Amino acid sequence: MDSLFAQLVVLESSLALIFGLVLLWRRGVPAYVNAFTWQSIVLALVAATVAWFGRQRELYVVAALLVLLKVIAIPRLLARMERRFATERELAPYVNTATSLVVAGLLVLFGYAVMRPVVAASELPTRAAMPLAMGLVLVSLFVVVSRKKALTQVIGFLVLENGIALLALLGAYGIPLIVELGVFLDALMGFLVMQIFVYRIHETFETLDVDQLDRLRH
Amino acid sequence: MTLETTACVLAYMVLAYLGGAVAALLPLRPDLTRALSAAAAIGGAVAGIVLAARVLIGGAPFALTVPALLSVGGGLALRLDTLGAFFLILVGVVAAPAALYGAGYSRAYTGRYSLRWLGAMLNLFLLTMSVVTLADNVLTFVLAWEAMSLASYFLVMTEHERADTVAAGGWYLAMTHVGLALILSAFLLLVPPSGGGSFAELRGMAVTLSPSLRGVVFVLAVLGFGSKAGLVPLHVWLPRAHPAAPSHVSALMSGVMVKLGVYGILRVALDLLGVGPAWWGALLIGLGAASALVGVLYALMEDDLKRLLAYSSVENVGLIFIGVGAGLLFTSLREPAAAALALAAALYHALNHAVFKGLLFLGAGAVAHATGTRDMNRLGGLVRRLPWTAACFLVGALAIGGLPPFNGFVSEWLLFQSLLPAIGSSAPLVAPVMTLAVGALALTAGLAAAAFVKAFGITFLALPRSVEAREAHEATATMRASMVVLAALCALLGLGAAFVLPALGGIVAGYAGLPRVVPPLTAGALLLPPGGGASMSPSLVAIGLLLAMGAAWVAVRVGAARGLRVSDTWGCGRIGQTPRMEYTSTAYAEPLRRVFAELYRPTEDLTIDVHPESRYFVQSIAYRSEIVPWFERYVYGPLVRRVAAVAGRTRAIQSGSAHAYLAYLVVALLALLAISLAWSG
Repeated sequence: MDSLFAQLVVLESSLALIFGLVLLWRRGVPAYVNAFTWQSIVLALVAATVAWFGRQRELYVVAALLVLLKVIAIPRLLARMERRFATERELAPYVNTATSLVVAGLLVLFGYAVMRPVVAASELPTRAAMPLAMGLVLVSLFVVVSRKKALTQVIGFLVLENGIALLALLGAYGIPLIVELGVFLDALMGFLVMQIFVYRIHETFETLDVDQLDRLRH
Repeated sequence: MTLETTACVLAYMVLAYLGGAVAALLPLRPDLTRALSAAAAIGGAVAGIVLAARVLIGGAPFALTVPALLSVGGGLALRLDTLGAFFLILVGVVAAPAALYGAGYSRAYTGRYSLRWLGAMLNLFLLTMSVVTLADNVLTFVLAWEAMSLASYFLVMTEHERADTVAAGGWYLAMTHVGLALILSAFLLLVPPSGGGSFAELRGMAVTLSPSLRGVVFVLAVLGFGSKAGLVPLHVWLPRAHPAAPSHVSALMSGVMVKLGVYGILRVALDLLGVGPAWWGALLIGLGAASALVGVLYALMEDDLKRLLAYSSVENVGLIFIGVGAGLLFTSLREPAAAALALAAALYHALNHAVFKGLLFLGAGAVAHATGTRDMNRLGGLVRRLPWTAACFLVGALAIGGLPPFNGFVSEWLLFQSLLPAIGSSAPLVAPVMTLAVGALALTAGLAAAAFVKAFGITFLALPRSVEAREAHEATATMRASMVVLAALCALLGLGAAFVLPALGGIVAGYAGLPRVVPPLTAGALLLPPGGGASMSPSLVAIGLLLAMGAAWVAVRVGAARGLRVSDTWGCGRIGQTPRMEYTSTAYAEPLRRVFAELYRPTEDLTIDVHPESRYFVQSIAYRSEIVPWFERYVYGPLVRRVAAVAGRTRAIQSGSAHAYLAYLVVALLALLAISLAWSG
């Protein structure tokens, strides 16, 4: 029973990480939005899996909320933004695809190294998947740093949020529901604020190239 | 006298100040904003005085801790002992008149500068100054201290459209944060390794420290608190920032806030560290003497009335520190009676300076309010136009000049009496230190009197030197009332010295090296310092002065009856007398400028334009003379340049690129993770 649980969460976490890596080798916002949507579905599955095997009823609610917010609501908003800025493609990231993938690999390794003491100390059946979640967190940070367009960075941030949620699910069977709700609200608000910023950046600089922001320095 | 009522008074004080701050921010009519914030500040000040009086009369400290607030640092801990209570009274005594004055004074700001911000910050400033005197753990103290500094910074910046105000604010902010860093280091050295920042724990820790570490703590505290008090060489911000603030705020900053620097040093040296070696006291005496002399010498040269007062604050803080230093020196020599006298004299002077410097700044504010200038070379003749202000300013000038029967005379006399007996001391180095201190004190007292003859004479006497001065108008009723209150206090603190001095002796009783019961320093109406062999009664001196004045008046009347002649003063044979021929502020100070030329390094620039036909017909003469502020030029100049250079180098990492900032975050995160990894495995 436990081994089935462990294998399932490792499988799902690996999928979540792979969808995170999509951001590094695909070009174009529609692909990113798709990857984010799929990753959120996987995250909801993880929540449901933990809820089933770990007998945490609350997590069903979390899974449902995840579907509502991150599989339905945010991707729609993202798609709308993408239609608005259709010409803005992530053409030239700071780091090219091959190097990005190598760096991502190293970051995942680093995640394993960092999580080793935690995994060793943990008794949970989900412990084997925790390094993957850590890897996802680090990779999404790398996405945020290395991509130029504001829209890509917003998606990077959302993936980062997914990574943190995944880590919380695996490491502590989720955080209390009330906190989880707060985090959801936070993520939504953060997203809305960033959406406004994206519009403003576009209005001011006529591009979504965050690089242009250094013109603000005086 | 129960604990609950005391706590109620405290709550009333806090709520009054906070309520005043909130009320000032409400969108009300400007005159309502001014009235509300002033009323709240006065209410808070009175509550503060009542609270302090309860502790002083009852003798038992009042303590209150709120662990729920600021729980990380051991909670909000308040405790009012006699030392804190004295300084809380100091806050209230100046705050109430200053707030009343501000209600009228700030009318001129309506529509130009933010009255709401001014009212809110004034109340917060008073609240945080009060909390500083109450704080009983490191966190409470440092938070209140920093909040006080920031509130006063915003108050200094009230007239933010003037370039010199902005520059003064910059100096102030930099110096006060250097001071905070030093204070914080002093406290952190005293925090026991087990944690816990209450002053009781610090006291316990101080006993276990090595003598050299205690010395380091002391020096850090002196430099840190000295930067707030305006001790030379950390005084450079004071003559800039105090005049830049609105006048009632200048009164509070010069009268009260610098005293909290004195409070901080007393708290650390006398209370937390306990009896120290003799060099502590000698260091304070040296710094105090240097401050007194530098302050008064620069005050003499100043043409700006408020800057003159600010420099004079440096001088008076120096006098207070001479007293404090003597007190510490005597405690380490195990002479408790002499120590109690010196400390009481220092506290007396602190109280007196708060009152008369508050009064003088309010008077200078009334002058600036009436004429729109603070340059004494453009003033003059104001005694007829502003009679109330002139009378009050005269009282303040007499008091600060150390003339009987006012309070400055009493405290300076007591300072002399505390230093003079030690000149014959047999302990090594005490006699020369004390002799130099007495010399510095005497020179300072004389020069201060000269400076205030100039301040009063040039500003208020003779003929107006400008149109503004000729058209000046008297201050509003609230401004006059607050000045009269402070002037009356100057007289009361002088005449009632026989009641004040024993109370001050009681304040320092029981602290390190001092007896629980200080021997009486008075006998009836007579001040009777121990060991000096001198005694003096200010009230009798006052009666004698009144009799002499009466006799002189009678003599003049009798003499005048014989032949009264009314005419112009002698005019050197000139046909017309204009104000341009009057003695100016600069001219008055010229002899001393020459005597102390080594210090001032005056630069002179004389240009004479003559008629093209003949050089005997002079068309115009331009004369400029400036004194070189060599402290700023040779000490602070290189320092500022070096700091700017380092800051310029760190600017390189501020690329302005959002990606770079994000990358810093990620790299920092990865580095921390790697470090923790290396640490654990």
